Amino acid sequence: MTAQPKPAEPPASKPAEQPQSRPEAPPPPKPATPPPPRPVTPPAPKPAAPPPPAQSASPPPAAAAIVDLTGLETRLRETSAIGLFTKLKLKNEVDDLLERFRTFHEGRGGATLAKLRESYNLLVLKVVSLLQDKDAPLARDIFTSREALWNLLADPVKFKTLGSASTRGLAWRRE
Amino acid sequence: MSRRKLVLAALLSTLALVARPARAQEDPAVLKDLTSVIALQGQPCGQVVSAAKQGDNDYIASCQDGNRYRVFVRDGRVVVQKQ
Repeated sequence: MTAQPKPAEPPASKPAEQPQSRPEAPPPPKPATPPPPRPVTPPAPKPAAPPPPAQSASPPPAAAAIVDLTGLETRLRETSAIGLFTKLKLKNEVDDLLERFRTFHEGRGGATLAKLRESYNLLVLKVVSLLQDKDAPLARDIFTSREALWNLLADPVKFKTLGSASTRGLAWRRE
Repeated sequence: MSRRKLVLAALLSTLALVARPARAQEDPAVLKDLTSVIALQGQPCGQVVSAAKQGDNDYIASCQDGNRYRVFVRDGRVVVQKQ
């Protein structure tokens, strides 16, 4: 149908410049692919997807979700999903992690932010996995707050303001 | 006769209400709590199948895999000690 423009002389060596196989036909406009219409999907239930874990970048103005620390603390203390020993053990771990953050922000100790993040993630996972079966709403709220909580801990200024209440705000009171 | 039986039954049921299991704790909530704590401590256990109360917040937990741990609170911290 379409006459292929074949050159008369056989190509002895490969002509490097012009691709032979493709006749320079300008690509036709894309056939009938209208801009993706994005069919109406049910509203995503994910509340405020956390931003990518920017470690060193300055925190965005509205960082993640707002955390009601006191509310989370109260709910954790009062949930019946985990027993007393487990609560106390988690409190111990929270206190230990806070202490590591404190020494980190004071420039002491050998902890790095990456190491602290690892420990923090592990602790959140422990809490969430302990809660998810019997107190799923609390597990979900803690999980969705994790970025905001991390921002509080990782920022030295915010951590200091948290400092006075840190052992109270993030952890449980000694029962 | 039947009156005596009634009194005896009442006495027994009162005893059953008042009396507490001597030491062994089979409350599933306690067993689950101990299981979680031992797991959080990173100790092998599987599941706690029975526990004996030693005192306030002090238990000897027996695990599925045969391990035994004393779980107690000291200075506000949970301690898990292998027995």
